[in-house]
Order: sequence, then C-alpha cells, then structure tokens
Amino acid sequence: MLKETLGKFFKIDRRWIFLLLAVVLFVPIIKPIGLPNKTISRDTRHAFDYMDKLPAGSFVLFSLDYDPATRPELHPQAVAMVRHAFQKNLRVGVVTYIAGSTGLIQQVFEKVPAQYNKVNGTDYVIFPYMANAVAVMTQMASDFYGIYDKDQDGRDARTLPVMRGIRNYKNMGLIVCITGTSMLDYWVAYVGDKFKVPVLGGVVAISQPGYGPYLQTGQLKGLVGGMKGAAEYESLIGQPGKGASGIDSLNLAHLLVLALILTSNLILLIIKYL
Amino acid sequence: MSETWMIAGAWVAAGLTICLFSFLYKDNPFFKIAEHLYLGAGMGWWFQVYLYNIWKPKVWEPLMAHDWMVLVPAVLGLSLVTQFVPKISWISRYGFTFLMGYGAGLAVPAGLSTDFINQIGGTIRPLSMMASMTSWAVFNSLLVAFGVICVLFYFFFSVEHKGHFKKVSNIGIYFLMIYFGAAFGNTVMARFSLLYGRFDDLYAFAASKYLYATQFILAGMIIYFAVHGFLNRGKKEAEAAQ
Repeated sequence: MLKETLGKFFKIDRRWIFLLLAVVLFVPIIKPIGLPNKTISRDTRHAFDYMDKLPAGSFVLFSLDYDPATRPELHPQAVAMVRHAFQKNLRVGVVTYIAGSTGLIQQVFEKVPAQYNKVNGTDYVIFPYMANAVAVMTQMASDFYGIYDKDQDGRDARTLPVMRGIRNYKNMGLIVCITGTSMLDYWVAYVGDKFKVPVLGGVVAISQPGYGPYLQTGQLKGLVGGMKGAAEYESLIGQPGKGASGIDSLNLAHLLVLALILTSNLILLIIKYL
Repeated sequence: MSETWMIAGAWVAAGLTICLFSFLYKDNPFFKIAEHLYLGAGMGWWFQVYLYNIWKPKVWEPLMAHDWMVLVPAVLGLSLVTQFVPKISWISRYGFTFLMGYGAGLAVPAGLSTDFINQIGGTIRPLSMMASMTSWAVFNSLLVAFGVICVLFYFFFSVEHKGHFKKVSNIGIYFLMIYFGAAFGNTVMARFSLLYGRFDDLYAFAASKYLYATQFILAGMIIYFAVHGFLNRGKKEAEAAQ
C-alpha cells in the first residue's frame, strides 16, 4: 500500500514541477527574502583585485559581447565592472563583436556614467559593432585607429581625450571581455597570450568550468561566472544590483532541485528495499 | 522613446514571453505564432545588420570614396554565392580557398600556443616549484597532473584498454565525470538565471505604467486554455466512448 502510494510520486505530471519552480523563482522577485551571498569565489576576487590595483587613468577596453539571450547573467556583470572602472577613475573604451549587444551597451551607458559624472569622449568611448572579431583583434595590435577611426557617434577617435596616448594594446592596462560566446577564447588566444595584455573574463555559468585551465596558467587574470559571479562582484564594489537581487530566487530554486532529487531517491530506496 | 511606444514594447515583450512559456502547459496556436515571429524577426534583424553594419561601411562607402582595393575581398566574398548556380559553382573555390588559408593561418599557431603548449606548461610548471608551495597547493598540482595523464590514457585508442591501461583510463573517466557534473550544475544555475531574468521583466511589465500588461496577457491565456479545454471535453468523451 505504502509502495503504491509512494510510486505515484514518479507519475506526477511534470507541469506541477514547472509551476512549483515558477512560484519559487517568482515569489522572491515580489517579496525579497534577503538570503545572504556570503561566499566570494577566488576567481571573482582575482578579477576585482586586478582592476582595483590599476592606477587611475589607465585605459580599460571592455569587449561586451552578449545579446538579450544571456542578458540576465551578463548584464549585471557588465554594469558592476563598468561601475568599478569608473569608481577607480579608469578610462573606458567599449567594443563589441555581437550585433545584438549594441542596445544593451546603450542601456549600461545611459545610466552608469551619470552616477560618476563621467563624460562621453572624455572618460569613456563606445565604438561601433564590427564583424569578423579575430581579424579586428589582430589588426588592433598594430594600429587601433586602422579599425576604429570613428566612435559610435561618428567622432574622430584620434581626437577624443579618452583615447590620448592609445595606439595599440601596449597602451592598454586591461581587457575585459563579457560574453556568452567563445569571444573570450579569442581575446586570450589572439591578444592576451600574443601581446601579453592582461585579460579578465565574464561568462555565463555554463561556460565557467571550461575556463579553469586558462585561470590556472594565468592566461586569464580573473573570471566572473554567471549571475552568482555578478552578485559577488556587486558585493565587492559595495553596490548591490540585479545580480544580488537574483540570489534569493537562485538559492530557493536550487533548494527545490535538491529537495526533489533527495525525495525521489529516498522514495526509490523505500520502494526497492522495504 | 515616447510613453506609448514603451507601453507597446512592454505588451509585445510580455506577450511573446508568455506565449512561448505556454508551451510548457501544452502546444497551442499562441506558441506557434511567437515561434514563427521569432524566426521572421531574427531573419529581418540579421539582414539589416549585414546591410548597414557590414555591406554599407565596408563595401559601399569605400567604393564611393574610390577605394577600389575593396573590390578584391568583395569579389572573393561574392564568389561564394556562385554555389547556388551549379554551372559556375567552381568560382566559389577561390573564395573558400582564401577563407581556409586565412582561417588556418590565424587559428593553428594561436591554438597551438594557447591551448597546447601553455596548458602543458601550466600542468608541469607547478611540479618544479614544490619546495616553495603549501602542502595543499602541492596536492592540487599533483592531482591536476594525475588527472591529465589519466584522461589522456582514456582518449588514447591505439592500445587496447585492458589490464593496467584499463585501470588508469577508468580513473580518467571519473575525472571526466567530475567535470561533467560541475558543468551540469552550472548549466542548471545558468538556466534558472535566464528564467529569473524573464520573470523579473514580467514583474516589471506588470506595473501600472505598462497598463498591467503581464496580468492581462496571462489572464487571457488562462481563459483560452479553460475555454479550449471545455469545448474539447465533449470530443474527448466521444473518442473515449468509441
């Protein structure tokens, strides 16, 4: 009798699980619980430390290569890292090799620079989308302006105050690539390794384990992974944002998955051995 | 952007999200509409990207400035299109030859250096610095080196996997399984993050300034499924009776 009752658990309509998951993810959005995010991973800490130690005025090239499909994970990372760069008074240049990211870049720079009184052209510059990333990365090594002679607004890039002293990678303090594609691999292989430029990454959680070898060898100086990485970076700069607010939902969803795995395994053991 | 367009955008975004999520309940015409719209809009989006971000600045504008050199890559690129005409499809070989040579020239040295030599160095180097390392770092380095060797054994197929060779390659499988487990755990977290992102947007679109887009569309969808289920109930009973 007990076994038959427990056996019904495995015949449950999976749509009930979808509904339960939706409730678990949605409720913290309406009413945040405030679960803490106490652990800061080593790779996020390294990414933060590397940017934090750059002298003021250094030029940081952000390659923001993500589109709306990966926005929930990568947009908070981009916002947090750009904020950090502005906090440290670093000069910021933005490039992209994903056409769908142009609108998202606009979203970041509509709000963040104003919070730090940063001016377009003086403190930061956004360059237009370019196709064929590898060719562009390779050519930028010899002459940055051979590729980007104008910024997104059509201004002569050479004359912008933010670009003073910048000719190629040698003049840059850091490259930050935030992407849901293999663009970070390109930056490491074609720029970081070849021209000895430090590279930081921000990637979706799925890709995170694959970058372990690059971190171990120092080919990547640090890595921010997924929404959890974004939350960690936000807490390091002391400005909670979308990453931190998502932690409630993620924690509860993971607890639900753990509970389902444990329950189903327990029931299976009971059915089999009792 | 005017307020009207913001509201319209919110209704479209919330509507398409809910239409696509409705498939989790069951297949329905709203899901099909959203799916086809996505494909069509995607094609349109890419067409304008190629036209305005590549063809216009990289081909048309240089030509208008009498930069005739741009004709060389443009013609090589166009040669790929001859694939669609069997009689002259041989011309496409020139374009492909260029792409192959250029791609291989770029990728092979970088790949060898970044993913091969540097990784071998990264595995071996810590073993030569053990005297200055903590015991935990020594253990980590040995574990990494041991894991690399075992996994390489697993992927070495020129010797039959039996005896000691099989034992080592079996340990390699465990290392691979640990990696797959970590990757799968991260995949689950990534999918939840994406779902959270959509829910966060749906919550934003539920505000009064968007005229309660989420609530109205969700209610409409529930009513549709209820009515559809009610109307088809008779049919199902008839089918069951037969």
